[in-house]
Amino acid sequence: MTRRWRYVMSQYAALAVNILPPFLYLLVFFYVPMSILLVMSFWKSGYMTLTPAFTFENYRLFFTSPIYLRALLNTFLIATGTMLALVVLSYPIAYYLARFSPRHERLILFLIIIPVEINFLIRIFAWKIALGRNGIINSALMSLGVIDEPLSFLLYSKFAVALVLVHEWLPYVVIPLYLALKGIPQEIIDAARSLGANRWDVFWRIIFPLSAPGLFASFVLVYIPMLGEFAVPTLVGGPSGYMLGNVIESQFLSAGNWGLGSAIGFVLLTIILILVALVLKVAGLERML
Amino acid sequence: MDGPRGGLRVENLYKRFGRDVAVDGVSFDIKPGEFFSLLGPSGCGKTTTLRIIGGLLTPDAGRVYLNDEDITFLPPEKRDINIVFQHYALFPHLTVYDNVAFGPRRQGWPEDRIKAEVGRLLEMVHLQGYEHKYPRELSGGEQQRVALIRALITRPQVLLLDEPLGALDLKIRQQLQLELINIQDAFHITFIYVTHDQSEALAMGDRIAVMNEGRILQIGDPRTIYENPINRFVAYFIGNTNLLEGRVAEVRPGGMARVHIPGIGDVWGMCRHHCERLRVGLDVAVSVRPEKINISRTPPSEPGYNTITGLVQDIIYLGVSIEYIIRLEQGLTLRVFQQNLADDARQVITWDEIVWLYWLPAHALVLID
Ligand SMILES: Nc1ncnc2c1ncn2[C@@H]1O[C@H](COP(=O)(O)OP(=O)(O)O)[C@@H](O)[C@H]1O
Ligand SMILES: [Mg+2]
Repeated sequence: MTRRWRYVMSQYAALAVNILPPFLYLLVFFYVPMSILLVMSFWKSGYMTLTPAFTFENYRLFFTSPIYLRALLNTFLIATGTMLALVVLSYPIAYYLARFSPRHERLILFLIIIPVEINFLIRIFAWKIALGRNGIINSALMSLGVIDEPLSFLLYSKFAVALVLVHEWLPYVVIPLYLALKGIPQEIIDAARSLGANRWDVFWRIIFPLSAPGLFASFVLVYIPMLGEFAVPTLVGGPSGYMLGNVIESQFLSAGNWGLGSAIGFVLLTIILILVALVLKVAGLERML
Repeated sequence: MDGPRGGLRVENLYKRFGRDVAVDGVSFDIKPGEFFSLLGPSGCGKTTTLRIIGGLLTPDAGRVYLNDEDITFLPPEKRDINIVFQHYALFPHLTVYDNVAFGPRRQGWPEDRIKAEVGRLLEMVHLQGYEHKYPRELSGGEQQRVALIRALITRPQVLLLDEPLGALDLKIRQQLQLELINIQDAFHITFIYVTHDQSEALAMGDRIAVMNEGRILQIGDPRTIYENPINRFVAYFIGNTNLLEGRVAEVRPGGMARVHIPGIGDVWGMCRHHCERLRVGLDVAVSVRPEKINISRTPPSEPGYNTITGLVQDIIYLGVSIEYIIRLEQGLTLRVFQQNLADDARQVITWDEIVWLYWLPAHALVLID
């Protein structure tokens, strides 16, 4: 063997050693099950039955059922509304922390991150206590005489789902935005101002576009997982806060229709992949650093 | 407005950060179209002074006047003053064209005028055809050229340059120094040029202000600053002079003084600043520039020189000149430059030789501060 050849081989060996374990892991726990589900989504399927006969029936069922389409619409309404609320809430927080560097910058960041560590169920039940018919908010408002009847939209509603989701995902939007904003050199902002940009121009022409990578990051980190959400709507969503994740879950766990469940799962996955591709394209075209 | 524009005056600027005083009573008056260098070691308050002039910082005290109009509290976007930064500060998400067009667009120029002017300026700095490149695709020198024309395109009255060449290689730096001087000539814009590089300040400034610890120590044209420094700091910071510490032994009218240097003996020097304080017994420094000292194997043939002997400790060949490090008594060393004249007898001087050093009293400055 020539030395060159040995060198090439050793490079491949190193590559294989590094790549093989995660590849095997993904293969066994992701690609194989996903392929099985994909195949099942094209099988004839009913209550607790699954026949290996090719059909588009599961997909046809989904796209012709008002209930399922309603859940799809709900999913996008809730996820989009929550995402908007998250961005509107996070931007000022991240902006303040990054650009004004307050004295307790690190402490505030820490306090924002801390809720992530609190158990998910504890958080949800805390919200249930706060939002319920006889919960803290309603009792407080009633004893203050602001309202006579308990507010019913607080719990088991889209509002409740969005509220809990905002609470859950806030750090994942604040942190990427904070990092993006913190990365903008002061000199760039100074340059813009000395060239005649007022505060409005500085924000919309410099700061906002340069924070876009943070927005894209939080979009991928937060919006996409929210589309697949099922636990939060199950616990605080009620009938009006029903999301596609709940439909999929019930097809697998209660309706016993694995074929339909898989089909709906792949519809969602396809939509998500298209969204991610679009985001990457836009982010790429923006030619970020 | 009548008359030349771009006269800039600052009066008693003062700025503190917490307990640190960054700028401590800075005043100067710059004429329209002047190339004014602000020179000082890193951390002495140059950038802070510049940011106050540009409106990016408000001074704790003091005033900034542009053509005698008080602009101390005018926001930066309302000042006809632009800035070129050390790290270029180009907008990374905008093309070269959009970067340069940023200022004109804020002023509402029509797009065809912007297009023509951007093209013209890019050509001026040898970057024609670069319109659609992004900053990260350019070298440091190219980025700084873009930053320069971005700041120039709207013809501000004053251009502030904060160590604009500090991050560049020597070759590109020297080339851009020349381009900057030519551009300043062509545009007739007042330049305030901050640098910590004394040779750059000497080469480029019509006048130089030497700064240290938040204060301006001396303002003058390059020759004055170099030949006639006001104190030890300026003398040493500009051109690494030889400073001999001693005590005044005799004062003659006209500023001549005999100074006793311990271990070396008496040398004669001229006092040019604060000479009224000169008296016998005062501690002073005598500054002698390395190139003003003659080095020889024999004592000078004419009288009137300060003369000492020393041991050649080091010889550094610089090409244009040769630098000798001469060891004197008491651990003192002197730096001596001699022009590199081929087959000159002096060139034969080698290590560990005893040599004569001599210089004229007029070339020795007695520094009181
Ligand atoms: N934003 C700031 N906050 C605190 N200290 C500062 C700030 N800007 C400058 N300083 C301090 O002020 C002094 C002068 O700084 P600067 O004007 O940047 O000096 P130079 O430009 O001459 O290197 C330094 O001691 C620096 O640490
Ligand atoms: Mg500086």
